[in-house]
Amino acid sequence: MTIADTAEETGTSTARARRARRTALWLITPGVLWMTLFLVLPILMMVYVSFWTQTTFAINPVLTTKSWVTFFTSETYLDALWTTVRIWLLVLAATIVVGYPTALFVGLFVRNKTLQTVLLVLCVIPFWTSFLIRVLAWRPMLGKEGAINMILEGLGIIHAPIEALLFSELSVVIGMTQIYCVFMVGPIAFMLGRIDPNVIEAARDLGAGFGRIFRTIILPMSMPGVVVGAIFVSVMVLGEFATSAALSGRKVNLLGNIIVTQVGSLKWAFAAVVGVVLTIVMGAVVAALLRVVDLRKEL
Amino acid sequence: MQSRVVKPLLAVYTGLFLLFLYGPLVVLAILSFQTGPEGGPQFPIIEWSTYWYQHLFGLTPPSRIAPLPIEESLVRSLVLAFATMIVSTVLGVTSAQAFRTRFKGSGIVFYMIVLGMMVPGVLVGLGMALVANTLGIARHWWSTAFVLHVVYTFPFAFLVMLAIFNRFDPSVEEASWSLGVSPARTFRKVTFPLIFPGVLSAMLFAFTLSYDEFSRTLFASGRELTLPLAIYGTFSVEIHPNVFAFGVLTTLFSFALLGVYAVLMSLSVRRAKRLAIQEDA
Repeated sequence: MTIADTAEETGTSTARARRARRTALWLITPGVLWMTLFLVLPILMMVYVSFWTQTTFAINPVLTTKSWVTFFTSETYLDALWTTVRIWLLVLAATIVVGYPTALFVGLFVRNKTLQTVLLVLCVIPFWTSFLIRVLAWRPMLGKEGAINMILEGLGIIHAPIEALLFSELSVVIGMTQIYCVFMVGPIAFMLGRIDPNVIEAARDLGAGFGRIFRTIILPMSMPGVVVGAIFVSVMVLGEFATSAALSGRKVNLLGNIIVTQVGSLKWAFAAVVGVVLTIVMGAVVAALLRVVDLRKEL
Repeated sequence: MQSRVVKPLLAVYTGLFLLFLYGPLVVLAILSFQTGPEGGPQFPIIEWSTYWYQHLFGLTPPSRIAPLPIEESLVRSLVLAFATMIVSTVLGVTSAQAFRTRFKGSGIVFYMIVLGMMVPGVLVGLGMALVANTLGIARHWWSTAFVLHVVYTFPFAFLVMLAIFNRFDPSVEEASWSLGVSPARTFRKVTFPLIFPGVLSAMLFAFTLSYDEFSRTLFASGRELTLPLAIYGTFSVEIHPNVFAFGVLTTLFSFALLGVYAVLMSLSVRRAKRLAIQEDA
């Protein structure tokens, strides 16, 4: 990348290409270094420490599989693993069910660009409130004297407050659905927005009803969006612990919550085991999702 | 398509969806005007007051309800977000610039960078804490937590810049080089002004993500709390409407930030337009 020398056109162009590659390497080095030291190394460290020997208050770098055995024989840990998978599936299903119709409306039915942008911006605005405060905001909604119970009682639909709304698995699923559904709406709306209206027009001219058009055109073409959304939601829900801490009253223990308690009591090796299990679960989920749809082909 | 039935139905649904999205925040905003100190974080509103806002700033007579430790943690969070913004934007711009030339191993490097935004915070936080423990490094919000914040925000900056460079016309740079302008000066005078809107977006992303980042900070920051950690501290104890009042204020602050971004963005767009007109003339 330097001044072009008009005299030796071919000679300088290879020299320039070489120099460009060298500059590129210099430019990429800091980023690669940063990620190696502060992302790859910590993850490898986690795997390593999961094999350390854990005593009550200390860990020693003597390799053992004892923490692993403890994990897979303890009911608490296996329960947490099962709860994590269950909550993840519930939230994933809920975000698709809740988000898809909105994405359908915004991405396909609203053809006015301004209105489309306004609706998308409206979906994003809550993100400028702190995540933890958005979680806490569900407490006055779902509580025994909360807004939902108050409204339902006011309307005469129920006569005694529904207590199961807060401090239950349901409250965790509701909270997570609201917090993460936007990550589903965005990608789906984006994919739907790329469908050529003429295709749908043509299908309608040939006499297809909405159900048929939806099944044969809209749904298949929106699948990459669903997968991208599912990856976002899965990654975030699997690593969660704050929402269940705030909304379940310690009844719902996810793998993330187990990690937090183990670190709190300085059981580093156990925490590392749980961390590695969580990493494996997440890797498997993302790999499976990527297998459903070839993203590189679609994007 | 029977859009005469489907469309209104979906429109109503979208309205309900927005209600679901905003409902909790509206309730929170209403309850932040609960009377204090005896008013609780639930309905009914006993009396409307700004007590909890005054409580946040320490303007109320002392009561049994401890104030949020926001003053110091706010400063820490802002400093941290600012530093994260600068570093991750610089890394994002340089890395994306490097990706304009196909270099060996660019595929692996791409995934390595994107991994930073995919791995759950609690995992990198744990890993970092383990590394720090093993090496005997003290954990602080400005050291161990800071590098993790960059790990998280750098991929966002990188992807934004990659998208910007994809739409970038390299012939203007070549023209500049062939006129004998050095690459560094070309970048400063030609490339940078053209990619500036993207840089602004990357900065906004990095700042807001870092400012609100919590799961990475939890294990990596040591004793001194950042703002999200201070809020997390209220989870284990009884919550009071002061947290709600605080939520309202932070939301307003975020909107102010968004406003600044919008102003800077429109200024840079206008400047680009003016330059284009000068070129035409």
